[in-house]
Amino acid sequence: MIRRLLAKHRFMRDHRWTQAHLSDYIDGDLRSSDRQRVEEHAHWCPECRRVLESLRRTLKGLMELRATPGESIAPGVIDRLRRES
Amino acid sequence: MDVAARSAPSWHRVHHGEAMTAGTNHEADLVTRARAGDRGAFEQLVRLHADRLYAVVLRVSGDRHEAEEIVQETFLRAWRNIARFQGRSQFFTWLYRIGVNEARRSHERRRTRPQSAPLADAETQVPDERQAPQARAEAHELRQALEAAILDLPLDYRMPLVLRDVEGLSTAQAATVMELGEAAFKSRLHRARLAVRAAVEDFVAQRDDS
Repeated sequence: MIRRLLAKHRFMRDHRWTQAHLSDYIDGDLRSSDRQRVEEHAHWCPECRRVLESLRRTLKGLMELRATPGESIAPGVIDRLRRES
Repeated sequence: MDVAARSAPSWHRVHHGEAMTAGTNHEADLVTRARAGDRGAFEQLVRLHADRLYAVVLRVSGDRHEAEEIVQETFLRAWRNIARFQGRSQFFTWLYRIGVNEARRSHERRRTRPQSAPLADAETQVPDERQAPQARAEAHELRQALEAAILDLPLDYRMPLVLRDVEGLSTAQAATVMELGEAAFKSRLHRARLAVRAAVEDFVAQRDDS
């Protein structure tokens, strides 16, 4: 009974810690022991696994938003600089 | 592993300092000349940076006219203050910091949700013809959901996300632009990512239900 309670307590502590460090994990900003902590917890926790996967999908989508304006705005900026300086 | 930085286009790679090229030396020379009052050199800096800065500001403001105005104000302010640039940071992070502050001022003046100029149009987005029509339509909807989720973020969370995850600056560069310590920056970035993730998941769930 006590062992089960302790295991649950440890699981919840790792859950909160993992949720707070998922970005660091994805960005490669965790040291190896902390990476392992995330991976071990995510192995047993479907919620953290789901959040991790969808965070990765979201970041991929955000990177794909990067776009270049069709027409440069530099000439307009330079015109204004010449007028006002 | 800095995922976004690693896969960033060449413009970003130069600014991330991964390659000290003739381009960066040329830019340093332009900055030196501009600091000495050479407006022609500053105009070349405008040509180098205006469009990327515009892309950042447009993502933050969500309005083309406002974004253009912010970029113009940013360069005017930068030109007037270029003598104060000491070269302790990269020129573009100094410039972006001015841009971020201009965007914040503009946001404070407006304080309403943008009503015009959706971002995902033919001017900025090139459809990937290799995708099947169904996949293209889904990708387009996902983009719109992401854009709406970004604009729903409070400004102080939207900016870190745009700088780091859309524009691909490194964490250190984006934190410098935001004038935040890395820990504070990462905390905001993580919360912004979780909020956008939740919005996108809602969108996907609704789409799959319909």
